[in-house]
Amino acid sequence: MKRLAIYGMMAEFDTTSDLVAAARRTHEAGYRKIDAYSPFPVEGLADEMGFHKNAVPLVVLVGGVLGAISGYLLQYWISAVTYPINVGGRPYNSWPAFIVVTFETTILFAGLAAVLGMLALNGLPMPYHPVFNVPRFAFATRDRFFLIIFSSDPKYETAGTRVFLESLKPRSISEVPS
Amino acid sequence: MDDRTDDVTVGSAPVIEPGYTFATVTDKISAIVLTRPTSVAWLFGFGVAFLLTMMMLYAIGYLFVRGVGIWGVNIPVGWGFAIVNFVWWIGIGHAGTLISAILLLLRQSWRNSINRFAEAMTLFAVACAGLFPVLHLGRPWLGYWLFPYPNTMKYWPQFRSPLVWDVFAVSTYFTISLMFWFIGLIPDLATLRDRSGNRAAQIIYGILAMGWRGSARHWARYETAYLLLAGLATPLVLSVHTVVSFDFAISMVPGWHTTIFPPYFVAGAIYSGFAMVLVLAIPIRKFYGLEDFITERHLQNSAKVMLATGLIVAYGYGIEAFMGWYSGNRYDTFLLWNRLHGPYHFWYWMLLVCNIGIPQVLWIRNLRSSPVWLFLISLDILVGMWLERFVIVVVSLHRDFLNSSWGMYYPTRWDWMTYIGTIGMFLALMFLFLRILPAISIFEMRTLLPQAEVKPE
Amino acid sequence: MSGPRVNNADLLAPPVVQTIQQRSLVVGVVFAVMSIIGLLIRPGEFFPAYLLGFMAWLGVTLGCLAILMLQHMTGGAWGLVIRRILEAGTRTLPLMALLFIPLLFGMPKLYVWARASEVARDQHLQELTRAYLNFSGFLGRAIVYFAIWAVLAYLLNRWSDAQDNAALPDNTHRFRALSGPGLVLYAFCMSFAAIDWAMSLSPHWISTIYPLIFLVGQVLSALGFVVAIETILSRYKPMSELLKPDHVHDHGKLILTFVMLWAYFSFSQWLIIWAGNLPEEISWFVRRLNGGWGFVGLFLAAFHFAVPFVFLLSRQFKRNLPTLMWLAVWLMFMRVVDLFWMIEPTFHEQLRVTVWDIVVPVAIGGFWLTFFFRNLKGRPLLPLYDPHSREILEPAHE
Repeated sequence: MKRLAIYGMMAEFDTTSDLVAAARRTHEAGYRKIDAYSPFPVEGLADEMGFHKNAVPLVVLVGGVLGAISGYLLQYWISAVTYPINVGGRPYNSWPAFIVVTFETTILFAGLAAVLGMLALNGLPMPYHPVFNVPRFAFATRDRFFLIIFSSDPKYETAGTRVFLESLKPRSISEVPS
Repeated sequence: MDDRTDDVTVGSAPVIEPGYTFATVTDKISAIVLTRPTSVAWLFGFGVAFLLTMMMLYAIGYLFVRGVGIWGVNIPVGWGFAIVNFVWWIGIGHAGTLISAILLLLRQSWRNSINRFAEAMTLFAVACAGLFPVLHLGRPWLGYWLFPYPNTMKYWPQFRSPLVWDVFAVSTYFTISLMFWFIGLIPDLATLRDRSGNRAAQIIYGILAMGWRGSARHWARYETAYLLLAGLATPLVLSVHTVVSFDFAISMVPGWHTTIFPPYFVAGAIYSGFAMVLVLAIPIRKFYGLEDFITERHLQNSAKVMLATGLIVAYGYGIEAFMGWYSGNRYDTFLLWNRLHGPYHFWYWMLLVCNIGIPQVLWIRNLRSSPVWLFLISLDILVGMWLERFVIVVVSLHRDFLNSSWGMYYPTRWDWMTYIGTIGMFLALMFLFLRILPAISIFEMRTLLPQAEVKPE
Repeated sequence: MSGPRVNNADLLAPPVVQTIQQRSLVVGVVFAVMSIIGLLIRPGEFFPAYLLGFMAWLGVTLGCLAILMLQHMTGGAWGLVIRRILEAGTRTLPLMALLFIPLLFGMPKLYVWARASEVARDQHLQELTRAYLNFSGFLGRAIVYFAIWAVLAYLLNRWSDAQDNAALPDNTHRFRALSGPGLVLYAFCMSFAAIDWAMSLSPHWISTIYPLIFLVGQVLSALGFVVAIETILSRYKPMSELLKPDHVHDHGKLILTFVMLWAYFSFSQWLIIWAGNLPEEISWFVRRLNGGWGFVGLFLAAFHFAVPFVFLLSRQFKRNLPTLMWLAVWLMFMRVVDLFWMIEPTFHEQLRVTVWDIVVPVAIGGFWLTFFFRNLKGRPLLPLYDPHSREILEPAHE
């Protein structure tokens, strides 16, 4: 894909409520390739932007199921198939004793899936990202709220988008070079 | 259960003092790491802790040269300090997970200011705990034999043994705790990256923050993953101390083989863990002026948790003693007698005083909000819980079924050096943590401010 | 508190309660008559069934008491909205005390240690009956347990009654002052009651976690019961306006927690005893896993834990009262199955469900429910002058 010279247009807001309202209006105005940045999770912000499909729970479920199956099979294969030893007359397949490690591997796999899945879906780690080219964006991790319309959005055109963003009464607007 | 009703339970003390903004919260917490000069007190504290760590390394080095014979362990008491300290440390770790995970699930927002350092405490405590069983192996450098992997000896672990369960439980616990802690740190690392004026710090924090930029999509997935991780960590933390209790309960030793052990160990772990949280939080909030963030309410709530878990521990002692008598089993009866009147009876009585007697003063409301008293009671509980493990390990083992295999256990100076050394290592890691990472979760503190709420238009 | 817009009369239980109360009484009387026939023709089968029914319904009563004290400790709208249901449940305690009396007559039929001929043959039993398990001790301790529970229930109910009256001063601090020690006392008494009434059925067997299984089981029974009752009440005013999805969600989460705790305690007991394999301990499980009883155990693992657990993981499921109600009623039933599995194998080596195992618990339940609904309609469904009732009454608050 050809890389555009301009990554998008960014508007800065002072409060949580302003950002949520701006995100809603931008989505209503028909912009789809947008994003919002805040220093802490804001309830409902992703919904306003039209982001509903969160795949993390599914990844965790798959991880947990895999963990449970592999944990039990590991023990079964070792204790009953490849290295069967008699311990105090207990059966080779001592399921009550195997539940403990099965539980631990379930949690381990599900937890790893949660963290790695979240990072992968978010595209992290990402060493370079154009939004950091805006100097004021450093405040996105302190107390400022930002909204961006990507230049890849079909509705994006420099003048019109700037006029639209100005109608949202932001504190400042900047063009983001890529 | 319900956010609104939170205030009901703890009276008037707020979670965060009024008057803060996103900017001031950010600056106040990050300043501890970024701009505050290294104080003499910090250097002194870290220096002492560091020296103790060196002492531990010396003791461990000598152990590598000479073997476990330098410790006081011998038949009949084969477990000794190593296992006492292992259980003590890992129990302390549990409060960290409890605060960060369970209270998150219960929507107890007061946790936001103490979860970060409680999680760090968990990690460091588990690291200290993990040392002991490995050192106790005899040939610690072969510790990897514990894991199931194809090897030239054609040997596999024996999965009916709780000691193997322990390997899985503790390593899973450490991994999940580390991930939970690190995931929680990412947004704050991004804050430090953007706030730091020092190029080297920017690069290091920048690499660790992995390019976090606070995108709404990212936050949505992040919150889901964090919540799910909390949901996974909650049963995990219970399972870890349950497995530790199985190390004892599965064995056929009077005083160990009893079914109450799992919940009783878990309660004891949380009990000592909260005591450690208070022992650390009370000086930290004092020295760094964080009384606005770690408020009286945190102290009160922690005190209540200690009171409740302490009562469960007392219940465990009581039911165990009663059943020992009720069963009429001569070995159980003898164990009870030996605890009360045997050669270690002084320590058993001290345990009862420290763990059950003194903490009952927590029923007094005024004491629950007095930092000095809470600090002292917490120290008392830490001592008491250490004695509990000592009694469980040593008193149960030292008089075996046959009189011919009776003996006494005396820790050597190497035992003490290793144990005190791990306290030093724990504190040294805590000191470093306070200097290089935000001790309070900045982004979660921001969510506590009234400005964080979205007002409808 | 400035005058609320509702008054006590608006908060009274709906008339349907009266109907259910009458029907419960009919069921109670009919099944009681059948039970008496059972007592006359098959006393050996009647008393185990009676113990089962008694323990099951006592569980609901005391579970209500425990949750009541728990919600006073934690606060929260989830507790306030069901407080009057819980209180009505605790006021069935006199009935349970009365129903304890027949157990005294059934002792020789139920307990090995109460049969002189068997005690004479067993040295351990001789020591145990001399020291602890004897008629006067059994009765004396039961009086103490009931007295303590009754005092707790009485005070909590009386103070709550005062909250219906605007003229009386705010007394919320009292509830909390009592509930902390109250929970300790409840747990202490119930632990020994579990030993006396159920564990001593096998007097050679001990398990230190056994009383805790009873404690979580009682809370679980009561939670199931409360959810069932709130479902019925929520079809009518005033509960239809008071009960919010968030409250139901919290009740669902509590059920999930206690289902997990039950499984955790039960599994720990099983694993430790299975791994130990000591004759005096494992015999309890050998009896309960053979002769068909093993199927009951498997049924418990699947339907007291696994299946409810999977359902309860879903957020939608926990918030939806009609579906949650089915699970709640199911869990009440599974509580009886669990008690059945703990109590009945003492008497029969082979799995068998006698007709009395069904008739007697239903008879006790009929009377229990009659009493409960009589209590429930006696007071408004919300303590109007509790300082937090306003939050529930404010419709705009959500």
